[in-house]
Amino acid sequence: MSNLRIGTDEWVAQHEERLASQSPLNKLFARIPLWAKWGSFFVIAFVFGAFSDNQYLLRVGVNLALFLMLSYGLNIVVGYAGILDLGYVAFYGFGAYGYALLSSEQLGQHWPTYITVPFITILTAILGYLISLPSRRLFGDYLAIVTLFFGQVFVQLVLASDNITFPWADDYVDITAGSNGIPGLDTFNFFGFIFDDIKDYYWLLMVSVLILTIAIHRVSATRIGRAWRTVREDALVSEVMGVSVNRVKTIAFVAGATIAGFAGTIFAGMQTSVFINGFDLPLMIMIYAAVILGGSGSLAGALIGATIMTILPELLRVPNYGAILFFVALTLTFFVISKKFNRFLIYVALIILIGFAFQLAMKAIGVTQANAEDWMVGLTGDLLKNWLFVPENRILWGNFAFILLLTLIAFFSIAKPIWKQVLLPFIGFTAIFLWEVRLIADVSTTRQLIIGAMLVVLMILRPQGLFGQTRVEIL
Amino acid sequence: MDYLGQQLINGLTLGGVYALIALGYTLVYGVLQILNFAHGDVYMIGAFLGFFAMTWLGGPLAPTVPIALMLLVMFLIAMMGTGLLGIVIERFAYRPLRNSTRIAPLISALGISILLQNGALLIFSPSIRTYDTSSYIPSTLGFSIGEITIDSVRLGVLVLSAVLMILLTKWVNGTQVGRAMRAIAYDKDAAVMMGIDVDRVIRWTFFVGAALAGAAGVMNGLLMRGVSSGMGLIPGLKGFTAAVIGGIGSVPGAMLGGLLLGVIESLAQGYLSTNFADTITFILLITFMLFRPNGILGRPMMVKV
Amino acid sequence: MEFGALKTLNDLTIELKEKEIVSVIGPNGAGKTTLFNVISGLYKPTSGSVKLGTEEMLGLSPAAINRAGIARTFQNVRLFLNMSVLENVMSATFGRTRSGLFSSALGLKRSRKEEAEVKEKAQELLKFFGTRLTGYRWDQPAFSLSYANRRRLEIARALATDPKVLLLDEPAAGMNPKETQEITEIVGSLRAERGLTVLIIEHDMHVVEGVSDRVVALDYGVKIAEGDFDHVATHPDVVEAYLGKGSTATK
Repeated sequence: MSNLRIGTDEWVAQHEERLASQSPLNKLFARIPLWAKWGSFFVIAFVFGAFSDNQYLLRVGVNLALFLMLSYGLNIVVGYAGILDLGYVAFYGFGAYGYALLSSEQLGQHWPTYITVPFITILTAILGYLISLPSRRLFGDYLAIVTLFFGQVFVQLVLASDNITFPWADDYVDITAGSNGIPGLDTFNFFGFIFDDIKDYYWLLMVSVLILTIAIHRVSATRIGRAWRTVREDALVSEVMGVSVNRVKTIAFVAGATIAGFAGTIFAGMQTSVFINGFDLPLMIMIYAAVILGGSGSLAGALIGATIMTILPELLRVPNYGAILFFVALTLTFFVISKKFNRFLIYVALIILIGFAFQLAMKAIGVTQANAEDWMVGLTGDLLKNWLFVPENRILWGNFAFILLLTLIAFFSIAKPIWKQVLLPFIGFTAIFLWEVRLIADVSTTRQLIIGAMLVVLMILRPQGLFGQTRVEIL
Repeated sequence: MDYLGQQLINGLTLGGVYALIALGYTLVYGVLQILNFAHGDVYMIGAFLGFFAMTWLGGPLAPTVPIALMLLVMFLIAMMGTGLLGIVIERFAYRPLRNSTRIAPLISALGISILLQNGALLIFSPSIRTYDTSSYIPSTLGFSIGEITIDSVRLGVLVLSAVLMILLTKWVNGTQVGRAMRAIAYDKDAAVMMGIDVDRVIRWTFFVGAALAGAAGVMNGLLMRGVSSGMGLIPGLKGFTAAVIGGIGSVPGAMLGGLLLGVIESLAQGYLSTNFADTITFILLITFMLFRPNGILGRPMMVKV
Repeated sequence: MEFGALKTLNDLTIELKEKEIVSVIGPNGAGKTTLFNVISGLYKPTSGSVKLGTEEMLGLSPAAINRAGIARTFQNVRLFLNMSVLENVMSATFGRTRSGLFSSALGLKRSRKEEAEVKEKAQELLKFFGTRLTGYRWDQPAFSLSYANRRRLEIARALATDPKVLLLDEPAAGMNPKETQEITEIVGSLRAERGLTVLIIEHDMHVVEGVSDRVVALDYGVKIAEGDFDHVATHPDVVEAYLGKGSTATK
């Protein structure tokens, strides 16, 4: 159950106590000046860029930077101004497709980069402005709906625009190549300097992120940033205090859109191809997850969130790391639920017991075991070889385990405390079983499942994210 | 004229499905003032449950029970299953966040949506399953008015959605739980003070809303013949739109909105291009929302300063 | 002014002279806060007009009305709770400052200068209330303030908008006698030191008596009495509105 006490006066009154009782680690952390914390990130990034040629890691870095820019942009819209924009990713797509249309054979246009990028970026800004206009009348949930629709309209338009028949033409026109995407884009080319190595993009992006960080930080600490925050706090009162709420919201919206558009052009140039399904809801959800995870309204939060969201999938790709991650998370969860160390040990013991019992039962029934080499992936595979029984028909058993796990969790939620304790070790075992049998193989699905679970758990335990301030809200 | 009639019939059928989904959104918004983003995926699960019920009973080609019974079982299993799923969602994604910020339940629902979609992907694999309706319900069965044909599937869906909507209205207006739900939607604190068990009523609300979505899922499966793990997204959006157009929080509004949306979409598909139908529908809706965000039957809320 | 089928503030005319302090009294539901909401532009009345000097305020956005020179506080203290004390006040200078997105982002000199000025102005305003809202308090979140301090902060915030007219909605509500006395003094000095015209809604008759040049009594949205304090306090209609028929007023 949640122990949130947001809004209760008691919590508010204990504010000073809380400040005083922060752990020494927190206090130490708070004493490090801001520029040092950020500086360390950039120093690492720059040093890495200068000395490394590891293509894989550079690519991760590039992805991180792009994702970070998107998180920054969304953070401004949602975190600073409190506008729930669910179609944000469409600006990213617009930037990318805009670049694509001007740098490929699709329309036969090959504009020079130093014109294309600023042009498309400004165009995205204008688009952001146009979309913000009708949105002025709406707020809260309604705004979320309409922006979601705008995002969908963008996707639908691109998909459908490979087959437009104008009344005066005989044949149809293919503008966006629909679901096929546009390949073969020109890479960046600034006055003869060709971006043919991923490192070039890495530097461009890191420098852009640095500039953005400084700029956003400045804006946030001054007039416009304050205005954004008052709008988020209480838009009505803000207006009465002289803040032109509509204008301020538009500024946030357009700023966010511009950043996304800019990032989009770089993305397109780097990938040298664009596909519309990369600019739809899944990415939107990832960006939201990053911003919420880090704590919306905080630049540092956006950084942490983006980092986690980028690194996590990469970790999961390597079965070793993925497995470690899973088991660490599982252990932590049980640790937290157990509260007492003895109880935790008992649970672990019980789980081990169940595992052996399961093995015996399976062998007794005569279920064929899977070939050791097939599924023993990585570190944990070796450790668990003798304990966990993995049946040959993994898919079927995996499905069964999944449903069983969900059922157990469902019962767990409504069970009396005594039964909760009984169910826990079974839940633990089923989770491990499921992981080894299915999840380890289906990486992309697993990643999504983890994200989904993380979002739910995060909201229950710490809705303000890792770096957000616990907020007091009048409901 | 007949073409128009045909499109209208198709539109109403489609609209019935949308209306059922829309009702789920509107019921939950009424009691909790949040938008249940996971609702579209509940609809998808319903479709899958119906599919598996059908397979369990021998499948379309070799049914072990009479067709009518098979259909009945499909719907029952789907509706019960999704109803329970609705309760679980409420327990995990919404109940702990009752006192939290406005945005937290939205994110949580997003998380549940991801879990459902990928869970379905995991279990059912990305391939599309077909209901193969034509094998057991001959499409020639049906009747026609002039040049307009209504095949039996369409007819069945129309009738069933009408029946469900009538039942729902009776539930909302006639039963104690239904009335309690309306009381909570109107003023939660007063409802609590009147001794209404808010938790229980909210559970019922989620159950009913989800069950309706489950039925809609099976209907869609029968109509469109295919189910896949991502099928909940667009209909979810549309059902949601329908609820908003009709006035979110208003039960008749959701029904009206759903039917309207179905008809508009059908007409757009029939008279304009199929390619752009969705785009046009969305644009129309955006425009509508700007001029009347409270929907057709919704009431503008006055805020005390 | 109509709320659905409910009509209020019928044929109400209130005039304020420059640098006057006028109190509005009346039982709950008389329409006092509605009056404020109409003046500050939050409600659009179905008929009538609001003039500041010769300028018509009706139909303007609340921000525009504020920039013209009308500021207010709220009956239930609506501060920006998660922002610091200083920021609450600084944020209200928005209408009087000009740094835009680009000049702030680029760190231009005029932007930095303006920021420093705004900060100083906010600190000065907070000093107006003695030492309570100064020093370390500046960076504390507004929600950590005591009730009385929150009310003071709200006034400071309203003052940051450089108003000519200040609307105070029950500034002394929930305060003990000492704090109430302070409020009375502050309202007086608002006029004396800053040349403001003040319109106050109050229930506490001590404040009303100590502060007002004139008192207006409302009931059911209609003006039932107007004049100096003694005149209104003993006016039979006013007595009846507060205490029912057949009573006499006592202080």
